[in-house]
Amino acid sequence: MGGILVIAEHLRGTLGAQTGEAIGLARDLKARIGGPLVVTVIAGDPARYHADLALEGVDEVLGVAAAEHFDPAVYEEAAFALALELKPRLVLLGHSVNGMGFGPALAVRLGGSLVSDAFGIEADGGRLLALRGGYGNKVLTKLDISAACVTTVMLRGGSAKPPSAGTAPLRLVSLDLQSAAARTAEHKDYVDPPPADVDITKAEFILSVGRGIQDEKNIERFRALAERLGATFGCSRPIADSGWLPKAHQVGLSGKVASNCKLYLALGISGAVQHLHGMKHVETIVAVNTDRNAPIYNVATYGAAIDLFALADALEKEFN
Amino acid sequence: MQTRELFSQFTPFAFGMFYLIAIAAMAAFVVGLARHILRYRRARPAGVPVDWWAGLRRMVDDVVTHRTLGRRDPYAGTAHRLIFFGFAILFVGTSTITLEYDIVEPLTGLTFWKGWFYLGFSLAMDIAGVMLVVGLVMMIARRAWFGLAKLDYVRRYRGDTAPLPRATAWKIEDWVFLVTLLLIALSGFLQEAVRLLIDRPPLSDLSPVGAALGRLLSGLGLDAEGAATVRGVNWWIHGILALSFVAGVAWTKGKHMVAAFGSLAVRDSRSVARLPEVAEDEPAGVTRMDDFSWRDLLHLDACTKCGRCHDVCPARNSNYPLSPRDLILDLRLLAQSGDGAADPHGVIAPETLWSCLSCGACAEICPVGIEQPVKIVKMRRALVDKGEMDPTLRGVLETVANVGNSFGEPARKRGAWTRELEFPVKDARKEPVEALWFVGDFASFDPRSQTISRLVARLFNAGSLDFGILFDGERTAGNDIRRVGEEGLFESLSAHNGAQMAQAKFDWIVTTDPHSLNTLRNEYGKAVQGRKVLHYTNVLADWLESGRLKVTRPLNKRVTYHDPCHLGRLNKEYDAPRRVLRAIGCELVEMPRSGDNSFCCGAGGGRIWTPDPPGVEKPSHSRMHEAAALGNIDIFVTCCPKDLTMFEDARKSSGHEADFLVADIAELVAEAVELRAIPANYLPELANRIAESLAEKVTARVVPELIQALTAQSGRVLAAAPAPVPAAEPEGATPKPVTLDAVPGEAGEWSVRTVTPAVLADYERPVKSGLRVLVAVKHVGKLGDEFRFRPDGLDVLPEDLDHQLNEFDETAIEAALQLVERLGEGEVVAVTIGPEAAEPSLRKALAKGAHRGVRVSPDAASPADPIAVAALLAGVALCEEADLVLTGVQSSDFANGATAAALGGILGWSHAAVVVEMQWDGKGRLDITRELEGGVRHGQSLSAPAVLSIQSGANVPRYATMRMIKDARSKPVAEAVVEELGPEATGRRVAAMDRPPVGQAAMLEGSAAEVAARIAAIVREKRGG
Repeated sequence: MGGILVIAEHLRGTLGAQTGEAIGLARDLKARIGGPLVVTVIAGDPARYHADLALEGVDEVLGVAAAEHFDPAVYEEAAFALALELKPRLVLLGHSVNGMGFGPALAVRLGGSLVSDAFGIEADGGRLLALRGGYGNKVLTKLDISAACVTTVMLRGGSAKPPSAGTAPLRLVSLDLQSAAARTAEHKDYVDPPPADVDITKAEFILSVGRGIQDEKNIERFRALAERLGATFGCSRPIADSGWLPKAHQVGLSGKVASNCKLYLALGISGAVQHLHGMKHVETIVAVNTDRNAPIYNVATYGAAIDLFALADALEKEFN
Repeated sequence: MQTRELFSQFTPFAFGMFYLIAIAAMAAFVVGLARHILRYRRARPAGVPVDWWAGLRRMVDDVVTHRTLGRRDPYAGTAHRLIFFGFAILFVGTSTITLEYDIVEPLTGLTFWKGWFYLGFSLAMDIAGVMLVVGLVMMIARRAWFGLAKLDYVRRYRGDTAPLPRATAWKIEDWVFLVTLLLIALSGFLQEAVRLLIDRPPLSDLSPVGAALGRLLSGLGLDAEGAATVRGVNWWIHGILALSFVAGVAWTKGKHMVAAFGSLAVRDSRSVARLPEVAEDEPAGVTRMDDFSWRDLLHLDACTKCGRCHDVCPARNSNYPLSPRDLILDLRLLAQSGDGAADPHGVIAPETLWSCLSCGACAEICPVGIEQPVKIVKMRRALVDKGEMDPTLRGVLETVANVGNSFGEPARKRGAWTRELEFPVKDARKEPVEALWFVGDFASFDPRSQTISRLVARLFNAGSLDFGILFDGERTAGNDIRRVGEEGLFESLSAHNGAQMAQAKFDWIVTTDPHSLNTLRNEYGKAVQGRKVLHYTNVLADWLESGRLKVTRPLNKRVTYHDPCHLGRLNKEYDAPRRVLRAIGCELVEMPRSGDNSFCCGAGGGRIWTPDPPGVEKPSHSRMHEAAALGNIDIFVTCCPKDLTMFEDARKSSGHEADFLVADIAELVAEAVELRAIPANYLPELANRIAESLAEKVTARVVPELIQALTAQSGRVLAAAPAPVPAAEPEGATPKPVTLDAVPGEAGEWSVRTVTPAVLADYERPVKSGLRVLVAVKHVGKLGDEFRFRPDGLDVLPEDLDHQLNEFDETAIEAALQLVERLGEGEVVAVTIGPEAAEPSLRKALAKGAHRGVRVSPDAASPADPIAVAALLAGVALCEEADLVLTGVQSSDFANGATAAALGGILGWSHAAVVVEMQWDGKGRLDITRELEGGVRHGQSLSAPAVLSIQSGANVPRYATMRMIKDARSKPVAEAVVEELGPEATGRRVAAMDRPPVGQAAMLEGSAAEVAARIAAIVREKRGG
């Protein structure tokens, strides 16, 4: 009884990045919470994920054989069954699209508490507090999860670092998931976004534009600027949503994470959480936004509150 | 007594034939005219008061002076004057013949067409004929050789290189019209010449031209017999041409000869300043030709295709897809089809309508009084009513409807710009003031304009003006909202502002914003109650001239002044700003387009809220080039917050940064009167800017030469050394490490407490008869930049929150509406969990099309607790026997993204999150597509009933017009009372709320060039280049 249960997530044979991060947070919490750190993976061939899940601090990896593709009913049912067996204090999963798909359903089955989009858990005078945003991330909210015997926590991407490799054993468990059959989602297909000539994840230098560029016809101008600077051209979500640039250019939670980026130039980006997720880790961030209070300045190394177009002109001259 | 014989040597048959043709021609004219009049009668009422007596007098004045035609085009004015008066005299003269021959003589036996009257008539007709011929030749020459692009009807502004077939027809019509008139005149002279040759009357009938032509012909060898033959044949040519012309008047371009009189008589010189209202029983906008007013239809017929509007239109000049003339002509073609039900939107594309800047330049110059912008606004109203508009514009309208300003700022921040002042600004609602300052959106919220607002406040204070503002009571005045076509929203804004003004005691109104000035002065009616609405330049001009403000340091600057459309053209305030500039010692150099011909900055008509189509040159850029071409201008002066913003941007982006400054007139006045109240750091700023601009000018001229000289000397180009990078350390960018200081308290026995649906008391709802889709909507709180926490630290102060419908839920509403519309059956029920104060969001969902609403008061639960919300929603879903429940992907306040899955879990239904596509026949399984990270799409099918959260961007939510919002007030909303909500459903508690820890970037200050140099250095350092 007690401990932490982490539910892994995978897509087409690859573990989700947030699973490692959830394990990282769980590892840090383990000593305080007590009990084992158990990671479960629900998949067609759970064993294939064993090595990637047996990270430092993990006590056991539980493999549940089920359909390969994500199905909220199956995940909910399996996690519920395991929770009944393990009686964990915390159930951790990523605040991802799939996490949102089954996490809250699991939470209402278990009762107890639910914290979605959490970015940390801290102890305060004997209380266990989960941290999350509020009012469009303008406030930090602390939720007291001490009283609940079990709390489902959906962890915001990038909130913790995955631990290094460990040695946890794999245990395959077979669960009766029949009761989920009526609600089960039938997998049909995956469709990749249209291929693009950019790879945000590999780029070392990215110039991204946001709403601040105002107009679709300014895209070309900034694309040319990026080219001139030798940067990969990225964008924030509104730009991709408006169809001004293909989705492949989008940096952020619903886009790509700039994993190898060393220098990030954010032009006209206010810095919604969704975008920060994809770039806040970058070593050097230069942000240009006329709003001096823009959240992007909370993660940027350098900032400049000046007119974007005037700056673009001047930069063009610099790199002539 | 001298006279002339009519129908000389006519056979009775020829005589009868002529009368037959003449009567047929007149019948054709009358029938044509009647058809037009019948069409006008089917149209809607004028919509604006028509003062017939004053209108007729002004029309006669316009016609006699020809002032509308000669304006800005003296050549065409002169030519038309000659044609008009020549034609008019000939027409009246010819009519006197008919008057005597066909009416007076047969009835009374009297004749007057003889003797001196006859000789005078002959001379007048000869002179008139010459005028007509000269005018026509001038016009023909203009068409043939002047190369006027506006007259070839090629729509270059939309990329055309050749005229459309209908334009070719117009061109032919133009030529036929001119040539026919010329032939009538010339054949008239010929007829006269041969008659004089044959009859040889005394004094040659005082017809010098005919006589001269006769002498010429006889000199060329025309004998008496030849003359008789010509006389016989040419009589018929002349007669038939003239009668054909009469017959064609109502059917061709000639109809302007009648319609223009009517159009000028009903001309409304304030048509763009004061738009027609929408009557209660009228449709919101024009969707069929007979939705136009009879004045509108008359305008269409009055158009002569002259192209003056086409020439001046800032949209056309900037290659937006709009020419006011072509719009009128296309509408005219449709109107003349006679089909009142025809949809004008079939011939006028939406992008054409959205191109209009409502600057009024077209209506101002139209010689026949056509009100092009009124037609455009009436058609825009229909587009707005259907929600067909640019998403950015739609967003702005929604923002204005939500918070009362286009900046999306909370109302209480409206007066925040006054905080930096050294004196308090009165709240006009709380104490009486002499002048009520209606500040307007831009002047209240735009940072650059705020500095001007403070300066104006200080000037008012220096002049001891007793003024106040409405603070959070003021909303955007609605001028541009109205011109966009959102009449309902305008009505609601003007009603609100009117009610606020009613609470205030003041003698007159002042504003810095010409847009606000326009609508307050012309469209607010009762609210303003006849009180003066002044522009700040009116006030400053008077003060500077009377010495109430003393100029202590004349500026001695060379400036040019841009007339804001809404101040100048729309409200005829041209002088006050110029008086101010004179008073402060500026040399004013006028741009070629100034005064009533001022060229719009591009912000009007709601365009400031609409992205520009690709390929247009911004009007503001064109204006900057125009000002720069004046040479050596120090300052480009504006007196409109929107102008300041537009031109400040344009100066930089059009390459004139070094040429001149853009400044508001108040900045100049403050400097000239050495305003003491200006904070120490402000004046130097302006002074620096002027000095900087001078330095830039010098640099721009000298540096290239210097570089050239150096290059020539050394053979190398000098490379700029990278500027040093500040050694600031990045800090706080990584999240706090997660630590636990203490072992958490014992949580009790581990047990499962599955959440169950809330039990609701029965509430009124229709019996379920078909598909029922529930949409969960949330009334979300939005925090501004400034907020405070409650004393207990568990939440923010409620008064610091502005509430509105969760934007993510709008996508869910749209998905539900599209589903039932596709299936052709079903009911959409909007459900909200929230107190009574949440009802506006429910109503908004109803306005968008949901059929009815249900509200559950969450007494025991926090609306911020997703599980409690889901349990309550589950109660409603069961009561309603819902087939499908949709939610937004998350709420914009707490962003749990949990409601859909939690609800699905509680109900035991299928569920899916982040759905972008949904196909369902309402019976079997649902086919859905979810959007995963990185844009991968996952196709799945689910059994019904189901709960889905709909991803934002999955559709474009429809726009709820103010009219739809009003209509939604009568839709049913039931309140469901909670009878039982299990303890497991509640109990999640906020322990504390705090400001999030933030890192802070090292800010790079300086000019664009300096910042760019430092960024370049960072890039080079990091990239090792």
